[in-house]
Amino acid sequence: MSRKLRTRMAITAGRMAAATSRIAGRGEGMVVGGRVMLKLAPDAIADLANGRVAALVSATNGKTSTTRLLANAVEQLGPVVTAATGANMTSGVVTTLASGPPDATAVLEVDEAYLPMVTAATKPRVILLGNLSRDQLDRMNEVAMTARKWRKMLAENPDVTVVANADDPVVTFAAEQAPRVIWVGGGQVWTADSSVCPECGTLLTRSDTQWNCTGCGRKRPETSWELRWQDGSGTAVSRLGQEFDLFGLQLPGRFNASNATLALAVAEQLGLGLDESVKRMCQVQAVSGRYAIVNVGAIRIRLLLAKNPAGWTELIDVMPPAPTPVIVSINSNAADGRDPSWLWDVPFEKLRGRTVIATGDRRRDLAVRLLHAEVDHVVIADPYSPAAPLPPEARALDVIDNAATYTAFHELRTRAQREATSE
Amino acid sequence: MSESVIRIASIYPTLLGTYGDGGNVLALKHRAGLHGLVTDVVDVSPGEPLPRDCDLYVLGGGEDTAQVAAADSLRADGGMTQAVDRGAAVLAICAGYQLIGREFPDATGAPSAGVGILDIRTDRLPKRAVGELLTRPDPQAPAGLTDLLTGYENHAGATHLGPDARPLAQVEFGVGNGDVSEGAISGHVMGTYLHGPCLARNPQIADVLLGWVVGEQLPHIAEREVEELRAERLEFVRRSGR
Repeated sequence: MSRKLRTRMAITAGRMAAATSRIAGRGEGMVVGGRVMLKLAPDAIADLANGRVAALVSATNGKTSTTRLLANAVEQLGPVVTAATGANMTSGVVTTLASGPPDATAVLEVDEAYLPMVTAATKPRVILLGNLSRDQLDRMNEVAMTARKWRKMLAENPDVTVVANADDPVVTFAAEQAPRVIWVGGGQVWTADSSVCPECGTLLTRSDTQWNCTGCGRKRPETSWELRWQDGSGTAVSRLGQEFDLFGLQLPGRFNASNATLALAVAEQLGLGLDESVKRMCQVQAVSGRYAIVNVGAIRIRLLLAKNPAGWTELIDVMPPAPTPVIVSINSNAADGRDPSWLWDVPFEKLRGRTVIATGDRRRDLAVRLLHAEVDHVVIADPYSPAAPLPPEARALDVIDNAATYTAFHELRTRAQREATSE
Repeated sequence: MSESVIRIASIYPTLLGTYGDGGNVLALKHRAGLHGLVTDVVDVSPGEPLPRDCDLYVLGGGEDTAQVAAADSLRADGGMTQAVDRGAAVLAICAGYQLIGREFPDATGAPSAGVGILDIRTDRLPKRAVGELLTRPDPQAPAGLTDLLTGYENHAGATHLGPDARPLAQVEFGVGNGDVSEGAISGHVMGTYLHGPCLARNPQIADVLLGWVVGEQLPHIAEREVEELRAERLEFVRRSGR
C-alpha cells in the first residue's frame, strides 16, 4: 500500500462528496466525487494506477460494452475494478481506480478526448482502439483531429501494446506507427467519416474486405484477428486458425460480436485463457442498462442506446422489422451533442412501414427528419403516461423498442429504477 | 431527360457532409414535390467530372482536410464556373460556403485557394463559433425570403464579402460571417453557415433556389412539423437571451 497520504485524503473527501450527491438524488455521484479527488490530489490517477491498469478501451461507439466484456474476461485472474456506469472522463477514471481492492487489476473505459491524458497517467499494458466517427461535434474535435492526437499519444507511450480495428482507416492512421500493434478486422459499417485518407486527403478505395489509398499507398493492415459474421452470428478467427464461436453472446448485433473480438485480442495479449474469456463474455447480459427491458410509466420498453449515425446504422438491424412501432427519444443536452443535425445522417428511411413515436427534447427535429424520410410518426411529449395517445398497435405490444440518445437513455433508466423501487 | 425535371448535383457528399447537410438535398426533393416539380439527384464523387447540365449544385460542410481536397478537385474540374456562367443555382453550406469563395484557411490556418464563384474571402475567427444561429433576411435578399432564418453554426471562419457579393442575412443571435452579416449571395449563388440542415429548417430558402431554376417565385406551402420546429427553435433563442 504505497498510496500517498494526499491521495488517501482525497479519496475520503471524494467519497463524502459522492455520498452527498447520491443522498441529494443527483445520480451515482461518481463524477462529483472524482472532481473533488482530482482537485485535492491532481496526480491521484497516476498514484492509484500504480502499474495495475491492464487495459484502456476507447472508441466512439461500444466502449462501455467492450470494457464490460473485457473486464469479465480479466476476472479469471482475480479481482477487477472497472466503471459500472460508463463514467469515462478523468473524474470517472479516478473514482473507478479508488474503488475496490487497491491491487485489483483495472480495465477502464476512456472518453476519446481524454485518452491521451489518461494513458500518460496510468501507463496501461494494452490500449484498445475500436472506431472513430462523428459524435457530439460541438464538444469533440473533428474525427481526424482526434486521430492525430491518438497518434501523438502512441508516439509518446512506446511501451504500450495497441489492439486496433484495421477496418477503420481513421483508427488505423492513429495506431499504425505504434511499435506494437495487434490488428483486428472488426468491420466498419459506417464509412462516412473515413471516406478520405486521414494523411493525404485522397478518396479511399474500398472493397468488401479491404481499403486502400491510391494517394499515399496506405492500406488495411494484415490482421491477427478477424470477426466472421454470418447469418446473425459471429466467430472470432485468429491468424493461427483458431476459431471462437460468439453465438453465445447475449449482447445482440454485429457490433457486439466485433466488440468481443477486439476484447479477445486484448485477452490474448494479457495471457488469459481464451476459451474461458469467451465463456465469461457470454455471461454479460445488459451493460449499464443497454438492451435492458424495463417498465416505464404505463408501458414496458427495451432500452437501446443510439447516440450517433454510426451507432444508429447498426442498431436499426437489431430492431424488430416493420410494421412493429418503435419509440425514439432525442435530447440535445451536453452529453448528447447540442446539435441534432446528425439525425439527417441516420438512415431513418429503413424504418418505413411502421409508426415511430417521436419523443425527447428534440422530438420536433426528429419529426421533420421522419417527414422527409417518409416514415409515419406521432410526436408525444410523454409516451409513457397512461393517457398518452399511443397508436393502438404500440399499446398492444408486450415490449416496445425505445432507442434513445445518451441523456434520454439515462432519464428512462433512472425513471424505471425509481418507479420499480416505489412500487 | 424531360426539360421539366430539375437536375440537382450533390457535390462530394463523401467529403462535404459532416453535419447532416445531406438533408439539404432531401429537403429540395421534398419541397419540389410539394410544388409539383420533379427532381433527379446526381451524387458526384471527387475525381468524377462534375455534370455540366445540372440546374442546382449543392455543397455541404466538412472537415479541414476534406475541404481542401474538395476545393482542389473542383478547381481542377472547372465545371462550377461554367455552371454559374450559364445561370445554374448553387447552395453551399459552411466549409462548402468558404471553399466556393476566393480563399479560405486550411488545417494549419494558411490561406488555400477557393473555387472563386463567390466574391468572399475567409480567415480565422478569434474564437470558434458554435451554437444556435438566428438571422433576419437582408433587405436586398431575394423576394420570397421573409421569415427569420434558423440553424446551427459550428465553424472558425471569419468571412469577408467583396463588392460582388451581398449578405444573405443579418445576425440576430450567433456569429455568422463575424461582422453581424451572415452568408452571401451573388446572382444565383448562395452560401451560408446555417446547418440544421438549412433547407429543412428554412423551406423558404429551398423555394427561392427552386424558384431560380423554374424562373418564377413559388408560393409558400407550410408544413406542420417544420413550423413547430421553427417555433420551438425561435423560442429557444428568445429564452437564451437574444
